[in-house]
Amino acid sequence: MKEPEPVVFVIDDDRMIRDGLQSLIRSVGLRVETFASAQEFLVAKRPDAPACLVLDVRMPELSGLDLQLKLRDGGIPIPIIFITGHGDIPMSVRAMKEGAHEFLTKPVRGQDLLDAVQKALASDRTLRQERKEANEIRGRFESLTPREKEVLELVVAGLLNKQIAAQLGMSELTVKTHRAHVMEKTQAESLAHLVRMSEKLKSVSRK
Amino acid sequence: MQISTAATAKRTLFRYGLAIGLIFLALLVSLALQNSFGNPFWFFFSAAVILSTWFGGAGPGWLAVICSTLAVMYYFTPPLRSLAVTPHDLPYFVTFVACEMGVTQLISWRKRSEDSIRQARDELEVRVAERTAELKNANDALVRQMAEQRRTEETLQATRAELARAARITTIGELTASIAHEVNQPLAAVVANADACVAWLSRKMPDLAEARSAAERATQGATRAAEVIARIRSLITKATPEKSRVPLNRVIEQIAALAEGQAERNHVAIKLELSPDLPIVLCDSIQLQQVILNLIVNGIEATTSVTDRPRMLTLRTEAEDKGQVRVSVRDSGVGLNEEVMGRLFEPFFTTRPKGMGMGLSISRSIIEAHGGRLWAESNTSGGATFQFTLPSEDGLTA
Ligand SMILES: Nc1ncnc2c1ncn2[C@@H]1O[C@H](COP(=O)(O)OP(=O)(O)O)[C@@H](O)[C@H]1O
Ligand SMILES: [Mg+2]
Repeated sequence: MKEPEPVVFVIDDDRMIRDGLQSLIRSVGLRVETFASAQEFLVAKRPDAPACLVLDVRMPELSGLDLQLKLRDGGIPIPIIFITGHGDIPMSVRAMKEGAHEFLTKPVRGQDLLDAVQKALASDRTLRQERKEANEIRGRFESLTPREKEVLELVVAGLLNKQIAAQLGMSELTVKTHRAHVMEKTQAESLAHLVRMSEKLKSVSRK
Repeated sequence: MQISTAATAKRTLFRYGLAIGLIFLALLVSLALQNSFGNPFWFFFSAAVILSTWFGGAGPGWLAVICSTLAVMYYFTPPLRSLAVTPHDLPYFVTFVACEMGVTQLISWRKRSEDSIRQARDELEVRVAERTAELKNANDALVRQMAEQRRTEETLQATRAELARAARITTIGELTASIAHEVNQPLAAVVANADACVAWLSRKMPDLAEARSAAERATQGATRAAEVIARIRSLITKATPEKSRVPLNRVIEQIAALAEGQAERNHVAIKLELSPDLPIVLCDSIQLQQVILNLIVNGIEATTSVTDRPRMLTLRTEAEDKGQVRVSVRDSGVGLNEEVMGRLFEPFFTTRPKGMGMGLSISRSIIEAHGGRLWAESNTSGGATFQFTLPSEDGLTA
């Protein structure tokens, strides 16, 4: 399956800056969509593709920081590159704490912005990949029966078949059968693989 | 309420008492005169009925009619001393009673309509008086309100003028965040578009159309930046150039006092050498204050790094020939090297980390708008001297 084309969203209330940034980013062959306000961006349809946001901090009505919080609360994970005027240091600290990807000051040097965009897109690509894999694994793990899930927990915790049988009150042979089913349904190639998958699932759902 | 019902009761009692009294009087007079006339003489009763009705109203009138009828029946119609009436006297007697009743009715009608007219008139008067009082109150309130409003407006005006003054004194020389933002915005557009232009040109297959439109947007941004600067400049230099006769020495003393705090903090001594017979100058005193304050602050800032000689700032005024006065601000600071000397008066030229580089540029515009000159020199003994000239009043009239 081919990866969908990445897209860069540019949000700035100043048309000239918006057009300049758009042109700059397009010149390296990336797809760009521009918005004159945070609200416009929120109501727009966003493609399911790796993306990042180039965001002016100081905008009337909904500021860049407000949008950042809204996206976070709405569970929309997208890397943000903030652009700010001079002297907004307390603001930048706040934005960084909230997980801003990069913070550039106006006027932004073209190369700095392009570098930041590439890095943000790469990170989004990785995150999307991780989310996709985690979803697949979750699907497989969910097909297990409750009994098999119990066995899985103990296997992953490093118990031997004998110990599992004792703990769950079943014969060792039954444990072996369950165990075989678990390996088959989760498509685990080895015990190590199974452990890795279950770890991954936990870490993604924790995020 | 209580009082008025009591008063009404008393009045009613009086009215009925009056009717009975009058009838009694009529009876006495009639009895006294009975012997002088042959015929029964009842006319006093008529008079009593009329008076009772007139002064007492309908009720007492009817009471008088009844009483007089009884009295006549008893005393004057045979058989005497009895309430009976002989058939012979009946028509006569009935006519008498009918007349009495008619008179009472008529008079009470008349009286009632008169009363109601009077009452209406009284009410009208009361109402007119009330309305007049109300109007007067409203009018007084209005007058008070207007006076108050005028006072508020005056205060507001004064405050506004004061604020404008304060704002103008602080904006100059100091970086204000909003101006910086205003200028930075178009500059950001210029940089983004210029970088985009270069990027399109440096592709393997340069895209000239894209490069051109980016370059055009860069030009637009630069034009906008220039406009913003022009706007700021005209805001500061040309807003209400109210020229008045200004005692220059007084202004310098005031501004020196204003800068005293900053000078002290930086251990700079300010010395005044003011010419005692300086002609009056005609200028916008606020703008003049801005120029002087700006030169003083620059001078103080130039001396802060000096450690090997006294930190001094000398303000001097003198009358020139050709109807001009000259003000100079001389400091013992870092002085002006060739590079700085060449660019001092350019907008946004600054060597200070927090400077905006607008102070001298604006100061020069102000002085030139007044028909004067502003320039800088290096002192041979270190430091710099900034001087400006202004036409004096005798120079202007000459
Ligand atoms: N008295 C002075 N001595 C030395 N340099 C000065 C003096 N006054 C001005 N300058 C130089 O001129 C520059 C521009 O001054 P100005 O227009 O007032 O802007 P700013 O004070 O914001 O820097 C200063 O940054 C400084 O380098
Ligand atoms: Mg200055």
